[in-house]
Amino acid sequence: MTAAPSVRPGGLSADEIARLLPHRYPFALLDRVTSVEPGVRAEAIKNVTASDPVLAGHFPGRMLYPGVLLVECVAQLAAVIYGSAAATRSTGELVADVAERVGYLAEIKQAKFLRTVLPGDQVVVRAQAGPRMGDLMSVTGQASVGRDVVMTARLVVTERDSE
Amino acid sequence: MVATLEETKTAAKARQVLCGEVKHLLVDRLGLSVDPDLIGDDQPLFGRGLELDSIDTLELAMAVEEKFGVMITDDDTESLLSLNRLVDYVEGNR
Repeated sequence: MTAAPSVRPGGLSADEIARLLPHRYPFALLDRVTSVEPGVRAEAIKNVTASDPVLAGHFPGRMLYPGVLLVECVAQLAAVIYGSAAATRSTGELVADVAERVGYLAEIKQAKFLRTVLPGDQVVVRAQAGPRMGDLMSVTGQASVGRDVVMTARLVVTERDSE
Repeated sequence: MVATLEETKTAAKARQVLCGEVKHLLVDRLGLSVDPDLIGDDQPLFGRGLELDSIDTLELAMAVEEKFGVMITDDDTESLLSLNRLVDYVEGNR
């Protein structure tokens, strides 16, 4: 397999994210990972565009990016955090075909939506891994547009151990 | 070594206080709709006890570490089976 071009040292392109995650259109939400510290934290970009089919229904004549999808962005970024850690452990590279490790969203402990997100907004998503127990991993996440924090969330996700 | 009556009373009192703290921690952190003082010391935490589930173990482990500085790892999850066992674990490891 030809390696997908990396966006910059320490970052991941959409094609590289697709090797870490099983998510595909229309549910692969992250456009680019701008930095990742495997197993610890990551930052990504989500560009919101009027041609996103979800905005056709949410809502006609009043397009808003759904808050639940911002939560999902954090969950997907959490999978990038543990996926890149698994890739690093097994190959020494940040990216490997480890999508089968992705488990489930287990809990949304808290989520707060502070501002609406509209077509044209570039959302910066940040996630930080917290304590783990068994296959459970706690995650704190944040989404911002420019200087404004638009969402904060605390989640629990699961990682499937296939090693 | 034989403990004096006074020492035994002091230890029992400390244990009672710790049990109370753990009960309040459980209710606060896991958002349980139960009066902490009505939780029995032998009550199982999971299943038909306090009805916690496996996802709650992580929150509980985090709460215990923050409050008592005691870390519960994958190998110690038996300590979460009942309130008494959890208190034993906290007493023994802090």
